[in-house]
Formats: sequence, structure tokens, C-alpha cells
Amino acid sequence: MMHRRAFLRSTAYGAAAIGLLPGLSGPAAAQTVDTLKLFVPANPGGGWDQTARSIELALKQANLIKGAQVTNVGGAGGAVGLPQFVNQWKGQGNALMVAGMVMVGALIANKSPVKLSQVTPIARLTGEFQVVVVPAASPHKTLADLVAAFKADPAKVSWAGGSAGGSDHILAGMIAKAAGGDPKKVSYVAYSGGGPALAALLGNQVTCGISGFGEFGEQIKAGKLRALAISADKRQAGIDIPTIREQGIDVELFNWRGVFAPPGVKDADRAAMIDLMTRMNASPAWAEQLKARDWTGIFLAGDAYGKYIEQENARIEAILKDIGLA
Amino acid sequence: MQRLRRPEALLALGVIGLGCVALYETTRIPVSPMYARVGPTAMAYAASLLLTGLGVALLVEAWRGRWTSPPEETATPLNLRAIGWLLLGLVLNIGLIGPLGFMPASTLLFACTARAFGSRRPLRDAAIGAIFAAIAYFGFAQLLGINIGAGLLAGWV
Amino acid sequence: METLGLLADGFAVALQPVNLLWAIVGVTLGTAVGVLPGLGPALTIALLLPITFHVPATAAFILFAGIYYGAMYGGSTTSILLNTPGESATIITALEGHKMARKGRAAAALATAAIGSFIAGTIGTLGITFLAPPLVELALQFGPADYFSLMVLAFVAVSAVLGSSVLRGLTALAFGILLGLIGIDLQTGQPRFTFGLPELLDGINVIVVAVGLFAVGETLYLASRPLGHATLTPLKGRAWMTREDWRRSWKPWLRGSVLGFPFGALPAGGAEVPTFISYFVEKKLSRHPEEFGHGAIEGVAGPEAANNASAAGVLVPMLALGLPTSATAAIMLSAFQSYGINPGPLLLQTQPELVWGLIASLYVGNVMLLVLNLPLAGLWAKILAIPSPWLYGGILMFATIGTYGISQSPIDLILLYLIGGVGYLMRRFDFPAAPTVIGMILGPFAEQEFRRALTISGGEFSVFATRPLSAMLLGLAVLLLVVPLLLRHRR
Repeated sequence: MMHRRAFLRSTAYGAAAIGLLPGLSGPAAAQTVDTLKLFVPANPGGGWDQTARSIELALKQANLIKGAQVTNVGGAGGAVGLPQFVNQWKGQGNALMVAGMVMVGALIANKSPVKLSQVTPIARLTGEFQVVVVPAASPHKTLADLVAAFKADPAKVSWAGGSAGGSDHILAGMIAKAAGGDPKKVSYVAYSGGGPALAALLGNQVTCGISGFGEFGEQIKAGKLRALAISADKRQAGIDIPTIREQGIDVELFNWRGVFAPPGVKDADRAAMIDLMTRMNASPAWAEQLKARDWTGIFLAGDAYGKYIEQENARIEAILKDIGLA
Repeated sequence: MQRLRRPEALLALGVIGLGCVALYETTRIPVSPMYARVGPTAMAYAASLLLTGLGVALLVEAWRGRWTSPPEETATPLNLRAIGWLLLGLVLNIGLIGPLGFMPASTLLFACTARAFGSRRPLRDAAIGAIFAAIAYFGFAQLLGINIGAGLLAGWV
Repeated sequence: METLGLLADGFAVALQPVNLLWAIVGVTLGTAVGVLPGLGPALTIALLLPITFHVPATAAFILFAGIYYGAMYGGSTTSILLNTPGESATIITALEGHKMARKGRAAAALATAAIGSFIAGTIGTLGITFLAPPLVELALQFGPADYFSLMVLAFVAVSAVLGSSVLRGLTALAFGILLGLIGIDLQTGQPRFTFGLPELLDGINVIVVAVGLFAVGETLYLASRPLGHATLTPLKGRAWMTREDWRRSWKPWLRGSVLGFPFGALPAGGAEVPTFISYFVEKKLSRHPEEFGHGAIEGVAGPEAANNASAAGVLVPMLALGLPTSATAAIMLSAFQSYGINPGPLLLQTQPELVWGLIASLYVGNVMLLVLNLPLAGLWAKILAIPSPWLYGGILMFATIGTYGISQSPIDLILLYLIGGVGYLMRRFDFPAAPTVIGMILGPFAEQEFRRALTISGGEFSVFATRPLSAMLLGLAVLLLVVPLLLRHRR
């Protein structure tokens, strides 16, 4: 049964329901200076979209902007949206694109003519580390067991994860290489999205799986999957899983997400955006969003962020070459 | 050669052509050195070969005169004027939906289609099309906050 | 009967006036977006996610569940009336449904779809209530090899839609498989048939193809005919379902429901495949197989029930294991997260009020949808009385909204119209369009599972025969192919 207070609250909301619906996400076409335009090179619902909507909410709650307008152009890990952002949004000082590590990999793997270096780095916001799991009934108890089995016969160890060349595949390749195996021999089984990959693991169809911690966390807690390692740099508070590095394999990977301004923005606009993100990062509203979504804040702004992206680009290109995708 | 000029034979040649294009494109699919027992090209080869083969079979059927269109198709000439209006509407829609926005472009499409289906009152058609487009635009797009291209009207809707 | 007690608690939540209001908003909105090709429940719920910041969790999920079920009803309406499938799971409905509508039996087709959806939705929801945990355990036994064999079985079902010439039907199928291969290959990340266009990297949306072939192609064809050819028969005879219609519909409703529900519960089942199989089954079992392709009511009743039951089935792994097996389920799970609720195997234990409220609201929403759709059937059918210049103008505009509205890419519009041109040729030369759409769905599905199975088995082809489930499904497929041939031979 519902509590009385909750019921009263829902009555009040219900009364406003019909009136509320149209205004929810339909921004007025007329713009004020304080309207932030957010470009999401992915369809609604995914990680980048959630990041954009969390940014919108936190900025509004912290009274840093009046409103935001989100545009989604999805496809191919951002390779469809990026050219549009570069060409059609050029010089717009009040626009930000949400992107992340997945786009770096997708652009390299798809040999995209448009590069991430063409847009203006503003800030890295969040990171999500990944987790290597096996089904509860698996004989492999540690990452060392798994890696030993892989080195003994790569064909017998199947790795489930997202699309080929994505962050899950990249991590599989990095582990294989760091452990002294051949990344090209990884029997990688690609699934579209975390759900089907999870089903394959729960049904004991594959040897092991890799995904963002958020997707597997609940199944690990329930004892349906056994976590062997996380890809973070150090142990995470409240998560009793060793890092990959702790187990003697020198690999660390964050699925980071950040924001970019279009090419050709004025220096003043760039500075203002960096300032806006810095202030958002310091706000309690943002901290609340990070907590609700299980994201780790790894804020890094401006030139340092630009340099970080250059390094990531080189690192990911190298590993994609190792896997055989670049 | 007369037999090859039958529309059915031309269509069969088209199917063969499509199959060949698909075959050529399949040869250009990069095969990565990644571990995979069956690579990305196997299914592509199978499907394009199948299509090409079926195209050849269709051609043989048409050649032998075993595949012909029913008289109701061939007795009446194509209504070329109607097709012309319809194509004009589609081309205008593709070209104008970006710069003018959804509503004006769709109104034009509606009017051209109505003309193709024999209506002789373009202004009335355009008015009805505009109303329909407005309902669609506000009813669905605005309610869900999907930006379907306000275009010209961006300033005042 | 602990379940019944929990369900009663759920009803106490769902029947609160406020929550009823949310359910009404949900089913209405769902019906509306279901009608629009390209705009499905997943996208709608994603766009409404910000609502989770304003209303309590129960209300939000009742709204979302209403949208989800409503979209399944809405999609069939346009399939039947305008030959324009609003959802990919209602493509098969267009085959017989639109033929019925052209003969002046639109209201009967809409009614059998609505009642069938209601029955299937209710059976499916009963399934969620009582069968969820054992069913999900069974569903997890399906590995890639088993899925591949299931797809082989589904390919046999395509024979039901091949039309008057096997040769032309197979050509349409091969064309569909090629269309389905366009885009980045999931297993190796290589682009296939993209011709260097980034817009093609994610493949072509099956709805664009279905709408192009069915709606745009049909419009082009009718325009090419002499004037007056395009007039439809308005409502003829009794608008409502006749006694004969009822007699012919009830079994397909039940069969479709029983077929669709477990398919939905499969982690990679999808709502389209059971509609193909249901159509095949109904054609084989019907006493009027010759009517198929000309407006057989069984061909609407069965697939419609299958699609709605599978929509219910999708919620099984989501609620029982926190496993999102469709785009809509994935987005609903992310909505759970914004309430700080962790969707997972423990969801039923930690949030019984929410889960049972949601399940109860599915029953309620289903009743609402029936009440909303049955009286509307007659009204909707009047759309066909619109003079053809405006009707076809409207259809083309409609097709545009869904395609351009989501992606805002003129390339998608060009594709839609090009495929419409192909649809015209197929119509003119009597190629069936349905195998193309089915090939587009089944082809890549079968291919991916085949390659997954081989990767896991280390390249052993024997895996398809040694896994019991897979062997059984393959055997069934062979039987379905061979037995009719033998029977024909003996006659």
C-alpha cells in the first residue's frame, strides 16, 4: 500500500499532469541568451543522452542557465552526429556536444573523415569503469584463472560485450595484450546493448563478459555473476572487487564522457563555457546527479582536457590496431 | 532482341544488375584479421549471389514468355502526368524541408499529391494540407519536444 | 496464493484516481505515437524521462506502461487503414488488414485487432503475474545456436507470404536480406554496403523500408493508374464483426497469444518473429487458405494477438531479472535508476509495491485500450471515406513525419522515396513486398547468431546439431518443410 503522504503528493502532481506534459521537454523556440544548446550524437536514452539531461537538470537547479534545448542525432557511435556538429553548429557560442571515449574509438574504426580534434574541448565530466565478470557457475575464480585459460586456448574462452571496437572490446584486447596473449585471437562475441550480453552470461552461454559497472552491478550483488576485476585505477569505495592492475595486469580504462564546443567559437565563449562547467561541477545538484547515476566525477577542463584527448586518441588507435580494427 | 525489350525482361536485368553491384560491394568489405570463423562477407556473398541467380532465372522466364503481366496492367497507358506531379511533390519535399521547414514543405507535397490524384483546386488542397501539417507538427512534435524542423516559421511558432 | 495478495495490493495502487489518470494519459499518448511510423514507445519514453524528476515512481511507470501497450494498438490502426505500419511488429497486420479495409471491412479488421490485442495483452499479463520466474529461467537456456535454429524455423514461415510465384517471392526475400546487411557489422566492426555514407553506418530502419514499400509504393502505383482507380470501397454491409468473423477470429487470438508471449520473454526474441510464425500457422490451419492475400480475418487476428502477447513477454525478463531485452525495456530500466531504484534480480523483493502496481496497471491499461479502440474502430474506418487526393496526400505527409522527424536527415527521406520507387516496381510486376521486410529482419538476426554460435564453439559447426534445443528446432523446421510436400505427393 502506498503511504498517505506519497498519495497526497501524487494527487497534486496528477492534477498538474495534463498541463505539465507539453512543457516537459519541449523548449520554446524563442531563445534567450541563457539558453544552452546541447547536441547529443546518440539516440535518446543512452549514456550520452543521460549525461546531457543530467547537465541540463543540474545547471537549472543551480540557477546557472534558464533553459536548455537538447538535439539528438544518433548513429554509429557518434560518427553520424559529429560531422553535423562540426559543419552546421560552427561558431555557436552557446552550444555544447556531449561525447566520450566511445566516439574516439568509433571515429578511428570507421575511418571517419571528421576528427574529434576539430571541435573545441571544454571539460571532461564523468567516468565509468568497466568490470570483467563470469557466470556464477564458472570455474574461473580470479582474473589470473581466466587469463591462463585464454593463453592455453583462446578459442575456448569467449568474451561477451558490446559492438566490436567499442569500449568492452578494447578492454578485452588490452587485457589479452598486457597478459602476453595475442589480442587478435580474442574470441569476442558482440551483442547490441548490455541486455542481450547479460542474458548470454546469465544463461552460461559464454565464458566471460565485459561491460560498464552500472550494467552488471545489480547482478553481481545478487550473486548471479561473479566479478573478477574492475578497470579503475584504484579500489572503489563500497565495491569489493580488485582492480585489474592489482592482479598483475597493467591495464586501466575509464569510459569517460565530456563536453565540447563547436569549432570556431570565440575565445570569450570558450572561457565562459569552461567557467559554466566548472561551476556546475562544484554544485551540489551535480554531485547528486553523479550519485544517482553511479558515475565517478573525473573533472578536467580546458587545455588539460585537450591534451588528455590527444593521448586517448593515440592509446585507443594503438589498441584498435592490435585487435585488428584500425 | 524484341524479347529483351519486354518490361519483365528489363526488370530481370535490373535485378541482375543489383546483384552484381552487391557482389562488387561485397568484395570491397574490409576483412579484419580479427578472430572469426565466418567473417562479415560470407552472408553478403550468399545473398548477392542468390539475388543474381534469381535475376537470371527471372530473365529466362521472361525470355520464354512464361512470365508476363496481366492485361489489366498493360492495357492502359501509364498516367505519366500524375506520376510527374507526384515526383515533383517528393523532390520538392526533399529539397525544401531543410531550408523551409516541415510545415511548408509538407503542404507543397500534399498539394502536388492531390493534383496527381485528380484534384483541380490547388489552393484549397494547399489550405487543407497546411492545416493537416500544422496538426501533425503541433500535436506530435511539440508535445514530445521533437524538433522536426520549424524552418521558416522558427521565429514565431 | 501469495501472488494474488500481492496483485490485489497492486490493484489498490493502480486504481487510485491519480494513477488511473496517468494510465489514461499513457494509453492515449501511446496510441498516438504508435500510429506514427518511426516514432515508437522507446523513443517516446526516452523523451518523457525528465518526467521522473517531477512525479512519484509509481505514476511514472504507470504512464510508461500505458505508452508501451498503447503503441502496440496504435501501430495496427495505420497498418490496416493506410497500409502504413506504425511499428515493425504490425507489418504483417497490413498484409490482410489493409486488404480487408479495401473491401470495405475496415471496421471488422480494426475490431478483431483490438479484441485480439486485448485478449493477448491480458493473457500476457497473466503470464507475467504467474509464470515469470520459471519462464525466464527457460528463456536463458537459449544460446546463439538455438536462436539460429529458431530463425531457420522462422524462414520456413516466410513461405506463407511468397505470393503467386515462388521465384518472385524469393527475389523479394533476397533483396530484403541485402538491405538488412547494410551498416556496420556488429561482430567485426566493418562497414558493409554503406557506399561511404555515414548515414548508412547504422543500417536502414526497417520501418523506413516497410513504409516505403507499402505506403509510398502503393501511392505511386495508384497514381500511375487511370483516374478513379484509386477509390476505395467505403464501409460495406455491417460495420461490426459478424458472427462468422467471431467464429474465425477466436482461435487465432488464442494461438497468437500463446505463441507470442514466450517469444517476447526470450532475451533476443523480438516482437516481429512471432507475427510471421503466427501468420504461417493461421494460413496452414485456415479452412480458407485461398483467402489469404485477399483479406483473411485470421491473418489479422493471429499476428495482432502474437505481437501484443510478445510485448507483454518482454516485461518478464525486465521485471524478473532486471534484464532489458528491448529498447523500450532498457529505457524503462534507466528510468528506475533516476529514482535511485536499482533494477536487478532483486527488484521484485525490494520494490514489490512498484512492480505489482505496474503489473496491475497493465491489466487496467489493457481494458482502457479496448474501451478506447473499439468505439473508435468505426470512426477510424471513416478515414477511408476521405477523397483519394487528400487521403494519399495525407499518407505521404504522414510517412514524412516519422522518417524525417526523428533523424532530420534528408538522406532518410531520399531513401524512403527510393524504396517507394522499388515498391512501385514490385507492385507493378507482382512481387510480394512482405518477404523483403521479413528478410530484412530475419537475415541479419540469423547471421549474427550463426557467427556468435561459431565463435563460442571455437568454429565447430556441429554445435547446431548437438545442442538439444537447436536440434529440436531444426528438426521442426525440416518437418514443416517436408510434410506438406509429402502430403501433396500422396494425393
